[in-house]
Amino acid sequence: MKEIDYVELFAGKIREDNSLFQQQKALIEAQIKGSSSLFRNMFNKNFKAQAREYLKGIDLL
Amino acid sequence: MVKGYSINDDTIIINRQLTSLDFFVKDFLDILKKHTDYLIVSGFVSIATGRTRGTEDVDLLFPIIPKENFGILFEDLKMNKFWCYQGDSIEEIYPYIKNLQNIRFARAQEVFPNMELIPIDKNRKTKYFEFTHPQKIKIQDFELKIPPIEFEILYKELILGGKKDLSDAKHLRTFFSGYIKEEKFKEYKPIILLER
Repeated sequence: MKEIDYVELFAGKIREDNSLFQQQKALIEAQIKGSSSLFRNMFNKNFKAQAREYLKGIDLL
Repeated sequence: MVKGYSINDDTIIINRQLTSLDFFVKDFLDILKKHTDYLIVSGFVSIATGRTRGTEDVDLLFPIIPKENFGILFEDLKMNKFWCYQGDSIEEIYPYIKNLQNIRFARAQEVFPNMELIPIDKNRKTKYFEFTHPQKIKIQDFELKIPPIEFEILYKELILGGKKDLSDAKHLRTFFSGYIKEEKFKEYKPIILLER
């Protein structure tokens, strides 16, 4: 099954059954928690200055 | 079995619990709305309606406002523990706004998610159209404004066109299959094509 087919299948199922939102919530919570932990550890001296250097490196600044 | 969404007057109700991403956007909007108008666009529209994918930024259109007003908004955001990627003072930030360049805010001590603020004026015709034709959606007690669903779908298909965007559009077309109207696609298409 192609990814786009999976997207369509899941959208159809979640339209009919809102309990599937729980799966989506779990993914979002895991991503935010992981990102928070990673960057707090990476930039533990001067957060904003270190974060801006990192953001320049990935062309977000 | 409860459906994924329902309609109440002119508002789309998404039948789900709030996530940490929703709280981030809600907290930011609670401050921003005191100072200016807004429209949430792009990836968060799909995610808010059930698309299961990660995201790092939440895109928000807002009209250019005078430096003095923007300065008050900026101080309010800082006071409420948001930081701006582009700088810590209004003197650093306002030139971006004036030149219609995007700026980003995250919570203090966080990098992602971030709110990407996209300044607009009447000359950005496509963006100005969606900004002035908002659709209300509500998740629990969190109400926000997004573009019309048909507009968002077509924008992703015709202008953005990346793999992620086409998947988002497919999600919206399927999730809202009982809601979207073909005549709206015809109405919005020429407006969206102005952006090409």
